[in-house]
Amino acid sequence: MAPRLFTRRRDGRIEVRLSADGRAFVGATAREVVAAEGDVGHAWGAALHAPIDPGRDADDPLAILSRQSDLASNAELVLATLEEATLTDAEAWAWFCTLQVALRSIAVANGLLDDDAWSAQSGPLVEHVQTIQALLFELARVL
Amino acid sequence: MTIRRASTERELDESGSVATERPWNVIVWNDPVTPMAVVVVVFRRIFGYPEAKCTQLMLIVHHEGRAVVWTGGRERAESYCVKLQVAGLQSTVERDA
Repeated sequence: MAPRLFTRRRDGRIEVRLSADGRAFVGATAREVVAAEGDVGHAWGAALHAPIDPGRDADDPLAILSRQSDLASNAELVLATLEEATLTDAEAWAWFCTLQVALRSIAVANGLLDDDAWSAQSGPLVEHVQTIQALLFELARVL
Repeated sequence: MTIRRASTERELDESGSVATERPWNVIVWNDPVTPMAVVVVVFRRIFGYPEAKCTQLMLIVHHEGRAVVWTGGRERAESYCVKLQVAGLQSTVERDA
């Protein structure tokens, strides 16, 4: 059986068993989310700035501000806890949200919006996506 | 002394009843890369639904391309929509038909 990357301990904290490379991968992903949130021209912009109510000309600015603030603070929390041996539940949730935001942003930026488009992909992009998916699977087990 | 808004009296006189506002739906949309387990965890943590309901909603998203995951007032609908987007799911709000 493959070793678990994250395990929940009896005290409720979540132990991170990632290698240095694994932590570097998560760190690079979180840095990309922070960069994309601060740059409207970023390739991930379409996914990060999706409308809340497509039926209206303009979305509620407070709702958009809340989303921008939460996205950035989750990714910053990942960077702040990148070298920790254990995470609190809230910190693990921030890791989970940041990885999922990155996954969806990569899908939108690369036009992977249906099963056919995804099936036609190969190479480094697929490996990158599968690495994020694997980390998400592992985190989903402990959340 | 009782103060009543003239417009309220007129509305009641004209219709004979008070119409309630149509609720708002929170919609989650399918995408081919998000793992099913991720969707279930997000529903459980954001809405507090039981595991079986989260799985059922996830399967509706997967098979039908979208699912109504919550219905109610507009402000709460937008708040839930923001939480789902922050968790990385594609989500929108729309008025109930």
